[in-house]
Amino acid sequence: MSIFRWAAGRLGAAALVAWVVTTVVFFALRAAGGDPTEAILGGPGSQAGEDAVAQARSDYGLDRPLIVQYLVQMRRILTFQLGDSYARKQPVAELIGAQLGSTMLLAVCALALAWVIALSVATLATRAQGVLGRVVSGLVQAGEVTATVMPHFWLGAVLILVFSSTLGWFPATSVGASPAGLVLPVVTLAIPTAGFLGQVMRDGLDEAAASPFATTARARGASESRILWRHSLRHAALPAISLSGWSFGSLLSGAVVVESLFGRPGLGRLLLDATSTRDVPVVVGSVLVVALTYTVVTTMADGVERLVDPRPRGADRATDRTLRAEAAIV
Amino acid sequence: MLAARRATTARATTRRRAVVAALVPAVLVLASCSNDTSVASGAPQDGGTLVYATGDAEPSCLDPHVGGNYPQALLTTQVLEPLVGRDADGEILPWLAVSWNVSDDALTWDFTLADDVTFTDGTPFDAEAVKVNVAHLQDPATGSSTGYLALAKVTGVEVVDATHARFHLSEPDSALLESLSQQWTAIESPTGIARGTDANCQAPVGTGPFVVESWTPQQQVDLVRNDGYTTVAPEAKHAGVAYLDRIVWRFIPDAATRYAALQSGEVQVIDNPQPDAIAAARAGGDITDVDAPRPGSVNRIELNSGQAPFDDIRVREAFVRAADVDPGIETLYAGTVARSYSPLSSSEPLATSDDSLFGTDADAANALLDAAGWTGRDGDGYRTKDGQRLTLRFPVSTNQSVAAEQSLFEQIQANARGVGFEVIITPLDLSGWYGALAANEYEIVSAPYTKVGPDVLRILYHSSGITPAPSGYFANHAKIADPDLDDVLDRAAATTDQTERAELYAQAQQTVLDGFYILPLYDQQNHFLVRGATGTRTLHTVSTPTFLDTRLAF
Repeated sequence: MSIFRWAAGRLGAAALVAWVVTTVVFFALRAAGGDPTEAILGGPGSQAGEDAVAQARSDYGLDRPLIVQYLVQMRRILTFQLGDSYARKQPVAELIGAQLGSTMLLAVCALALAWVIALSVATLATRAQGVLGRVVSGLVQAGEVTATVMPHFWLGAVLILVFSSTLGWFPATSVGASPAGLVLPVVTLAIPTAGFLGQVMRDGLDEAAASPFATTARARGASESRILWRHSLRHAALPAISLSGWSFGSLLSGAVVVESLFGRPGLGRLLLDATSTRDVPVVVGSVLVVALTYTVVTTMADGVERLVDPRPRGADRATDRTLRAEAAIV
Repeated sequence: MLAARRATTARATTRRRAVVAALVPAVLVLASCSNDTSVASGAPQDGGTLVYATGDAEPSCLDPHVGGNYPQALLTTQVLEPLVGRDADGEILPWLAVSWNVSDDALTWDFTLADDVTFTDGTPFDAEAVKVNVAHLQDPATGSSTGYLALAKVTGVEVVDATHARFHLSEPDSALLESLSQQWTAIESPTGIARGTDANCQAPVGTGPFVVESWTPQQQVDLVRNDGYTTVAPEAKHAGVAYLDRIVWRFIPDAATRYAALQSGEVQVIDNPQPDAIAAARAGGDITDVDAPRPGSVNRIELNSGQAPFDDIRVREAFVRAADVDPGIETLYAGTVARSYSPLSSSEPLATSDDSLFGTDADAANALLDAAGWTGRDGDGYRTKDGQRLTLRFPVSTNQSVAAEQSLFEQIQANARGVGFEVIITPLDLSGWYGALAANEYEIVSAPYTKVGPDVLRILYHSSGITPAPSGYFANHAKIADPDLDDVLDRAAATTDQTERAELYAQAQQTVLDGFYILPLYDQQNHFLVRGATGTRTLHTVSTPTFLDTRLAF
């Protein structure tokens, strides 16, 4: 498959995702009850007069049939315009632009930390030998499962209680890129992802250690650490890389909770506030940006996977895996 | 000079922290054998930055003329000032208006204005400014809701001269001064208003002790001291400018996080604390609880009398007798709230209470339901009548009802089940909740309403409050359509005789209570926890805190 066909396929998929997401969000929000006109008039529960309501509806086209409003929204998106926020009366692109950096910083730091934790723990568990090894391996396994299922709001609340209220090491709230303030939110986001990535990597390492290419390398006198660092890790990293793209999506959705919990500005909070007031352009715009970011990241993960994969391009990867890997190494 | 002083303070703080850390074990030992609680706090000092963390929703516009909600009132209490204030006894106090007179027909009000006050953009405060503000509130393009309703009877403002403004009314309004004391009708600079909605929403300009410097959405609003502050604010403890240099107004939605930030010294004041934090503050320590119930209505459960089954007073009384809320209120709120038996907040001097109507009695409830014809029972144990189950739909706003209140509603659900009611609780976000009310899809609802003065009774219980506003909102959730009550409320709104007004509102409240239209719970909880600052007090109008007299004390 040529790089161009691959890219065209990805672009087409991104466009399809954008259309489906926008449509679902637009109609779901309108089906959820509540009147977007109130977002324009200062929020839900407005008692504004008749003239004010009529003016707001006509200013924002809310007096037109729903299907027309939908088509207007779609036309705007096709021309790369996200419109103006009902509540803030500012361009949606500006509002999102102001918050995107903070959320991306949080998600990228969390993914990086998750990788560091997952790699360290997985290699530690693989390298430990004997009875101690079995104990460590069991503990690591239990830890990974626990970490994976931990809800962000609970984990964050515990971290605040311990490291902020009690020990006073890190602030409970923070804004922007202040390193001390980033610690707790990043750790909160990273731990469940680390547990998940760690499981995948450890499975990969175990499989690699028992595979013929490792046996060959051992026969040639290579040390266990050489096998691990030169060969097995590369093998084990592949599924973790492709799953990182998926994890990034869950980190972005986790940001909704984490940003509210730690009082950080960001896309997650923007989306949450806009949803509860039915600020349709902001909700549609934010979800669109998140969906496209997710598409970009999974595409990047796919690209990186192709780079790291030791097997030659075009080979039948599924059936020939160990032989090819062995050939590449030996 | 200022910057230098701040830098010194910061260094001193760091040093002090090191010393404190070293002394902690010693202090703990000492504290256990001494009652002196001043060990940790220093003397109040001028200057510095106070950080306020709010859990209320972030306003989409800071100008309280637009929409008009409580978060706007909280913030703009520091920035904008109303024409009049109010004390704890309900007495109206001079503020930007120094005196006033009402004509014999009660249709013309003359206000004399303070003559030495200037808006922070340099525009003079005068009668023209008052006129522009009323016009701004009444202009449909502004999208005002709360202020617009408050001034519904004002037909216009006449500029007599620079310091005299004359309000013309379409009909007498005994609540005019109370309406004008609210933050939602506070006076803004006409030059500021002329900038247009966008600029005015970003930074409304007033005469208050602080000025909006910048607003970083979802993060904070920065306020700086107004060094030209000359207003004589009612109940102020000192004349002249505020002590603080700055206020950082942060938006931190999670209550536990706000409390942690208060404990760790990141912030000095938080609002909307959880009951356990209030109870801990009351038990002693370096955190102070400022309890300022919001004016207007209490938190109460309203029974929709506009349709079955609550169109029958016996069924309403049965629900009230079965709900048994006292044990839940006591435990869920950790003993921090008092039960109310009035439609009005305890901060309203004209509130009338009648606890005799609200005793729990399951036997009486069962007898009432039998008498009302709800005698059948279905397979799930719920009462039925003509094959219909005795079902109550209860939409709950998760934005307005805190966790403790939602748990209380679940207890009510369980208690009501004991006599055969099926209560269906539906948690909804704010917009969806208003949508459910507008669609009349409820039998019970809890909807707090904040307004200064007893005129809130007219808004909530006059039959005209059943007709929805153009947005679909209506305030009379109990759907009381009682011509006698309407008449009492109309006369109360029109009279200028204070004694008659008090009597009429007492009568109206008794009617609402006697009809079992509502189940009063407790005041609208409005607590502020303060640590490391002194002098914070709340206004007796909308119960918002003012930081005019506040000093940092760490």
